[in-house]
Amino acid sequence: MSTPKPEKELHLPLSRVKTIMKSSPDVDAVGPEPLYLVTKVTELFVTDLAKRAYKSNKTNLLEYKHIAEVVQEDDTLDFLREIMPRKITVRQFKELMAKKAAKGNESDETSEESSEEDSSDESSSSSNPDSQHS
Amino acid sequence: MAEKLEDLNLPLTVVTRIVKETLPEGVAISKEARTGLAKAASVFVLYVTSAATNIVKNNKRKALTGQDVLEAMTDIEFDRFVEPLREALENYKQVTSAKKLATGKKKDDSDDIEMVDDDQ
Repeated sequence: MSTPKPEKELHLPLSRVKTIMKSSPDVDAVGPEPLYLVTKVTELFVTDLAKRAYKSNKTNLLEYKHIAEVVQEDDTLDFLREIMPRKITVRQFKELMAKKAAKGNESDETSEESSEEDSSDESSSSSNPDSQHS
Repeated sequence: MAEKLEDLNLPLTVVTRIVKETLPEGVAISKEARTGLAKAASVFVLYVTSAATNIVKNNKRKALTGQDVLEAMTDIEFDRFVEPLREALENYKQVTSAKKLATGKKKDDSDDIEMVDDDQ
């Protein structure tokens, strides 16, 4: 009873971490030792992420965009990019779509031209025998 | 075990508490930032788990060990967590072996297996 349980230092609920780990198809059973370490490292991870996000920030408020910024800049956080995208304003979104549309039109035109050339070349060689038959 | 979808997320309140403790006092965290951090932590659990199980598979073993979790950190390029985690593992082993001595009689292995079975 003199030695404190190491689990007591943890904040995150071990049972929940275990449930998440077991939701992975490759995991059947989770022993107490790996469970303890995964929980521990998850706490390290989330505090590390929050600290880095707050560093880039001069106010007293930590916001989503600060975290998303860290995630987008650090390649080891690639696994978070899908769930933490950079948020943009409606105006930025419209500008982005306008740019995309402009680019799309250009490439469409060029591809149409090239495909027309291709088809005309082909038709001149292949359609002649057909027309002779009919 | 995981009947509800919420069960696959870490509790928001706990994640927020951990984060608040590490940031300077008086820093507020927006609602969106809280949910974002909790989500990130939940995904991280799966990310580490799959990296560790890859090591287990590559070594043609079955059971996941603490050492696998340690090695997984290097694989996913989170080397900065290796040292604190190694210390945590050492501490954990010391305390659990002390506990086993205290309870006595029980064999080392059966103790571990029992704990695994209980939760299944």
